[in-house]
Amino acid sequence: MTDLQIHESYQRLLKNEDLSTPLAAILALTEMMKQSNAGTMFELLNELKGAAEALSKHSPNPIGLNAGCELFIEFITLFPHDAASFSELKTELIRQGQQYAEEALAYRTKIAELAFDFIKDDSVILTHSYSRVVLQTLLMAHKRKRISVFVTEARPRGMGIKTAEMLTTAGIPCTVVLDSAVAYAIEKVDFVLMGSEAVVESGGLVNAVGSNQIAIIAKAANKPFYALAESYKFHRMFPLSQYDLPSHNPGVLSFPQALSARTRPASSGLPSESSSSFSSNSSPIKISQEDIARNNPDVDYTRPDLISLVFSDVGSLTPEGVSQYLVGMFAG
Amino acid sequence: MASDPQSTANQRIVEDLVSRLRRRQLVGSRATALETLLVLRQVVSKARFSNIDQLVNVIRIVGRRLVEAQPKEHSVGNTVRKVLHHIREEYHTASERPTVQSSFSIAKFVLQGQPRKQTPIPRSETRVPLKENDPDDPDSFARVLKPVLMEAIQDVFDELETVYDNISKNAKDHIHSDEIILTLGMSRTVQSFLKSAAHYRNYTVIVAETAPSYGGREMAASLSSAGISTFLVPDSSIYALMSRVNKVILGAHAILANGGMFATSGSLLAATAARSYSTPVVVCAGQFKLTPLWNLYHEYGALDFGDPSAVLGFEEGDLVDKVDVVNPYYDYVRPELLDVFITNYGDHPPSSIYRLLKETYDDEDNEL
Repeated sequence: MTDLQIHESYQRLLKNEDLSTPLAAILALTEMMKQSNAGTMFELLNELKGAAEALSKHSPNPIGLNAGCELFIEFITLFPHDAASFSELKTELIRQGQQYAEEALAYRTKIAELAFDFIKDDSVILTHSYSRVVLQTLLMAHKRKRISVFVTEARPRGMGIKTAEMLTTAGIPCTVVLDSAVAYAIEKVDFVLMGSEAVVESGGLVNAVGSNQIAIIAKAANKPFYALAESYKFHRMFPLSQYDLPSHNPGVLSFPQALSARTRPASSGLPSESSSSFSSNSSPIKISQEDIARNNPDVDYTRPDLISLVFSDVGSLTPEGVSQYLVGMFAG
Repeated sequence: MASDPQSTANQRIVEDLVSRLRRRQLVGSRATALETLLVLRQVVSKARFSNIDQLVNVIRIVGRRLVEAQPKEHSVGNTVRKVLHHIREEYHTASERPTVQSSFSIAKFVLQGQPRKQTPIPRSETRVPLKENDPDDPDSFARVLKPVLMEAIQDVFDELETVYDNISKNAKDHIHSDEIILTLGMSRTVQSFLKSAAHYRNYTVIVAETAPSYGGREMAASLSSAGISTFLVPDSSIYALMSRVNKVILGAHAILANGGMFATSGSLLAATAARSYSTPVVVCAGQFKLTPLWNLYHEYGALDFGDPSAVLGFEEGDLVDKVDVVNPYYDYVRPELLDVFITNYGDHPPSSIYRLLKETYDDEDNEL
């Protein structure tokens, strides 16, 4: 299976609304295993690692799928097998992967139930962007308690609007707030519910850009900040700053040097002269939404000290608890 | 089962404790824990069961009854959870059935990160085969298991009996010579901790009098009679004195899963003042106070309220009908304000309390 094929099957799997990136990655790897003709464990692992790398390379934001690949490969490495032949073992591993992806779909309900206890009647909740587990939690809470929700718009992708539409359809009072209006709204908010792309070893959170600033504002206003994350999103990574994330590239937040170099000689001279030349310029510079999105990040990293609790299918954990799970899985 | 004379006897002792809890004739986390344990011992010794589920069910029903009688005495529920945990452990060792480890899947792989359960040394040496649901002799299961269970309950009992000694064991490592310690309220745990340290160190204690219960006065009298240099100060001077204090030592009513705690009102004031001077805050508490609850309700309405006449007596008749008077028993102290919990099983930072909880109780008992 070529790199492109595995990427295609990954993309195809992602079309399923319920499947999150780590699970899609695990399923894509099982599809690769079906077609692989590796004869030994070593070969198989090599192929899997190659495939995981290929997936990661083709994806602009590989953090979630990395977490899934890492979990699956580590599981295969440590799988205690007593199968008679290698092909039998391979079938078993494929079955395990598929079974897990199936089981894992129920995790969101489990998390929703855990988080439900923390939602008081008449709560005002702030959430960010679009997250299936947050949505499920809110919909479940709505059945038994009165809640109202602020959703941030979540530029550049505007996924918050999708959340708002779905919540409004379900009859939950819901208002979209601008990303820049979070500090304005925070005083009305009881707590923040945040989905996640990955929860990393420090206990911090990687999620749609804007999560970090919401966490900082929530901390400043002394409001609890709860992260919701299925356990397959636990990722063995220890970012020390925003720029340690694999999604960061030199293009993000770069200054348009070529452009300024081109315009400078044209507007040489005094500032007054340059302003007149600006108005007479036949093609004034326009900045479109796409231009802005191009050199802006998709995800950001939130420090663990800003997070009150992480709800996952293995229980409600303090951020420190997440690192304990990761150590147990990958070093135990 | 209701007509069963044994179960009516059980019913009676349970109801007796229920009414004492409800009328607040029995207060204090250790006292309630001890009484709960006595009732559970009685219940287990008289219970008829032919498999583990029946036994667990019997204990749960009793536990639920007791917890409902006084939901704010968290140690009642904790004791029930602890007993259930021990019973399951004993059952697993006695039945010699390896705990379910048959299949390895990714979901189980993820759980490897879970805190390991405490495994006590197997007590049942006489390996009589356990027969569950034996149709010929339905009591055989109970007969074999009961002695072991009684021993397990006795262990919990012993732990409660020795809790103060075990907490005070390392007191001299926490208090140094010539230090100034601030404490408040009347906590038996803190009292024995300070007295034990006094055998080795010369230090000074400042006790806030803790209005309106004035537990601090009692504490100060007791400490000074043990030869510790003690100052009794009004609550309002806690902040003013904080700059001189080396350490704040507090007791707890219940320790919550997030590492926060419920403690005598005034504790939050002391902890906040300590934070602004970066003075360490040490909490002394037995492990029976560990409660598998996240503080869901941050407002004071979730706390317990005492008799308001201690704040404003009826003698002041002119005022009584013009103002509302409340006398909350406890403060909720956030985990960020605490530095360490000293328990009878070692010292722990607030962030690892959730882990201790997972080790001490079974997850399925969190909701009794």
